[in-house]
Amino acid sequence: MSEYETFMEEKNKIDSYFDKGYQVISIFENLSGTFVDFVTGEEAIEREVVQIQLLTAEARKYIATKLLFVS
Amino acid sequence: MADLQINLAGIKSPNPFWLASAPPTNSGYQVQRAFEAGWGGAVWKTLGDPIINTTARFAAASFNGKKVAGFNNIELITDRPLEVNLKEIYETKKRFPNHAIIASLMVEPKQEKWHEIVKRVEDIGVDGLELNFGCPHGMAERGMGAASGQVPELVEKQTYWVKEVAKTPVIVKLTPNITDITVTAEAAVCGGADAVSMINTINSLMGVDLDSWNTVPHVAGKGAHGGYCGPAVKPIALNMVGECARNPLIDIPISGIGGISNWKDAAEFILMGATGVQVCTAAMHHGFSIVEDMIDGLNNYLDEKGIASVMDLVGKSVPKYSNWGDLDLNYKVVARINNDVCINCNKCHISCEDTSHQCIDMLKDATGKSYLKVREEDCVGCNLCSIVCPVDGAIDMVEIKQTLPSMTWNERQSRIASFMT
Repeated sequence: MSEYETFMEEKNKIDSYFDKGYQVISIFENLSGTFVDFVTGEEAIEREVVQIQLLTAEARKYIATKLLFVS
Repeated sequence: MADLQINLAGIKSPNPFWLASAPPTNSGYQVQRAFEAGWGGAVWKTLGDPIINTTARFAAASFNGKKVAGFNNIELITDRPLEVNLKEIYETKKRFPNHAIIASLMVEPKQEKWHEIVKRVEDIGVDGLELNFGCPHGMAERGMGAASGQVPELVEKQTYWVKEVAKTPVIVKLTPNITDITVTAEAAVCGGADAVSMINTINSLMGVDLDSWNTVPHVAGKGAHGGYCGPAVKPIALNMVGECARNPLIDIPISGIGGISNWKDAAEFILMGATGVQVCTAAMHHGFSIVEDMIDGLNNYLDEKGIASVMDLVGKSVPKYSNWGDLDLNYKVVARINNDVCINCNKCHISCEDTSHQCIDMLKDATGKSYLKVREEDCVGCNLCSIVCPVDGAIDMVEIKQTLPSMTWNERQSRIASFMT
């Protein structure tokens, strides 16, 4: 898969979580890339946390751009 | 006709083109011929205790048929007594009162030595002084030149000693043989410098003869490192000028030096913050008459831009020079091949495939004719293909309309910091 296709997959995941109302609660970066934790639900008992790993540089830019200007 | 006169820290000259302190300014005969040719100023070859030179002093790098892409020398400062130089400076200034004559000076880092030479030189009548804290070879082994120019405390102290007695503007010439030239530039400012000039030459060994195993150049079978200059060093010098120009603590004029060979080079240095430029290698390669094209070219450029005075050009590109962390990560350019111009040499494909991001495809059209096409979605806009392309206009780097707002690395890090656990 090309770098671009990988990016598009990662971008689609990011967009879909935002579209479903998830919010970013945590970001962790290390040698393996960027790990973004999304959470949904207001009540603690309903809360669902999902983590995605961003491998591409474009996606690591994209998530920050979304946080800066969109969310 | 634009006004080419400059005023660099109080030193006025009819144009921004000065000869740098070097072999072309060794004598009154040479400097007077240079002024006749059109040079606006000259920094006299460095005065100090007369030295002894070796023979075999210069060497040059040729690259792909271009002679003197880089130039190396192991020549020291003046080998003539101070009185001889001062007499010729006096005669030259008398003949050319409106041209700038700056005396380059180098003595041991002692207060009384600096006071003595400054007084004697200023008594004869010069427009300014340039302290040579940059010469990397020979004199540095004796504690002068780059040896003192690499120590910020010595730069500041010696500048201060000169300023104690100097009546004319003092330019401090800096060595590039240091990790961060802004540190020594700031030291010069702290010492009271009226201006800085940069760069002096870069430590270098031009080569090794593969038959004799002698260095190039060699002196009876032995070599020593020299100072590198000429077109090859221009990008290094331009960066150092830019770094100093955008540093708010270095709030004095800059005289730009380093590989300036034509009016375009000069204009680039001026745009990047230099009030004037100094030239050596190009004059050594082509003679003093090159200044005619420099003057004409700069004049025409200013006229085309509608700029009345070259002083209005100084530093115009400095606000555009920044830290990497302040560059827009969402700005995007991609390569686009113009197949009407492309000669299908495949150099772009090879460079991209082997050493970049594998996004130039070799394809065939319906008639079986080969052509190259960039997969723009995979292109990172590195410019490599357009750099290696031998045909002008065959590859354009095209801006892609930004779909996302600008975001710098620093902004990114600042934003995600609040999410870091």
